Amino acid sequence: MNWIWIGLIGGFVGLDSTSFPQFMISRPLVAGTLTGLLLGRPLEGMMLGAILEVFDLAILPIGAARYPESGTATVAATVAYTATTAVAEGHAALLLGVVFGLAWERVAGASVVLHRRISERILFRGDVASAARHLEIRHLGAMALDFVRGVTVCVGGAIVGTLLLGILAPLWGVHPRVAAGALLLAGSATLAASVTVFGGFREARRFFLLGAACGSLLLLIA
Amino acid sequence: MTPLLGRVHAAMFARSFAIQGSWNFRTLIGTGFAFVLLPALRAIYRDSPDQLAAAVERHSQIFNSHPYVAGIAVGAVARLEAEHADPDVIDRFKSAVRGSLGGLGDRLVWAGWRPVCALLALGLVFAGAPWWAGAAFFLASYNVGHIALRAWSFRLGLEHGRYVGERLRRSHIAEAQRALAGAGAFALGLVLPMAMSGGLVGARPMPAWVLAAGTAGVLLGLRFGNALRTPVLFALAGFALLGLLIGALR
Repeated sequence: MNWIWIGLIGGFVGLDSTSFPQFMISRPLVAGTLTGLLLGRPLEGMMLGAILEVFDLAILPIGAARYPESGTATVAATVAYTATTAVAEGHAALLLGVVFGLAWERVAGASVVLHRRISERILFRGDVASAARHLEIRHLGAMALDFVRGVTVCVGGAIVGTLLLGILAPLWGVHPRVAAGALLLAGSATLAASVTVFGGFREARRFFLLGAACGSLLLLIA
Repeated sequence: MTPLLGRVHAAMFARSFAIQGSWNFRTLIGTGFAFVLLPALRAIYRDSPDQLAAAVERHSQIFNSHPYVAGIAVGAVARLEAEHADPDVIDRFKSAVRGSLGGLGDRLVWAGWRPVCALLALGLVFAGAPWWAGAAFFLASYNVGHIALRAWSFRLGLEHGRYVGERLRRSHIAEAQRALAGAGAFALGLVLPMAMSGGLVGARPMPAWVLAAGTAGVLLGLRFGNALRTPVLFALAGFALLGLLIGALR
């Protein structure tokens, strides 16, 4: 039963990332939390989604750029991660889930390119894209295909990830605390690197340093 | 001029959420643009199927814009079509606005509003808020701005038609972009200490060596920016492989 729901979430997340309606349920933080909730493990889903959100913050879908697709990959990685926590300790499973999610984003990104090529064929087959009714049908057809793409990428990724991490995770041989440290180090560096989005450190340093002072103060108070 | 009724406006606005539904490498969002414009074209050319087909053909050509501000072009073109403007004028108008609308929306939304909302949501997560708080905050805050921007863009285009460019130049978009960049840098600074201190992996307190390594990572990130992203991803994947290899050899 869960696989049907995972497929449905995957379809809507895939559709939301570009085609319709871009409410951003396709952001890793939201997609991870929703998938975790569906699996009865919202906290784990949120944690994985938050880490993938950090890694994807600086990816901007500008123009015809080709980029990794994070939403559908997060759904697949959350399924794989929650299944892996039974055979590996918390942070080791989290690290493997994150690495799988980042790798699956590439597969999902390639599926977007494929979908766009197929859409082109659907739209311009016989050069009837201009006829009003045909245009509507083909436009909606391309959206339906995007939904199917989302379902396929999520369910396929969840199966691959669950099998792969199920085999690999029991082999993990480093203390989970070290895995947490590696994730924290990589995440902090990537998060800091996203200052480029706001014009770079030189340009944004006053606001950044003010924020860092407030963040540090909040930590001390808490 | 053919008057466009409120229900035509409503249908176009609803369709504008699907403007990228048939994104393709040949016309980019061109066919989506025609899909959104169709309710207006049907109202304007309801007695002339040939003119309707010709209008759909013209509007299915290559077009690109940020999806949220594409309403500026859609609204303005709907008005021009309703005024029965020369098709060449409409084509020139579309060519003139398509590049600038892309850059405008990209800076305002993808490099502004979205990362600001995401960083504040991450701040909630790293501060230990309930599991639903980060996602709920992000969805609510982001979509208030998202839907407001779509509505504002569409109305602006409909009201000002071919003169929408002049109206845009008098708007405060450049100030909004600068303010969002500042807010984003502030939010990033706010969130980083929470992430580094263990909030990122839900484990506090972290050992001193991890905090020191995290600080070094932050400094490298600030220094090298996005160029650091790929090496970090490879290093993380390499560490995962090493962890598996060590376990397999034991």
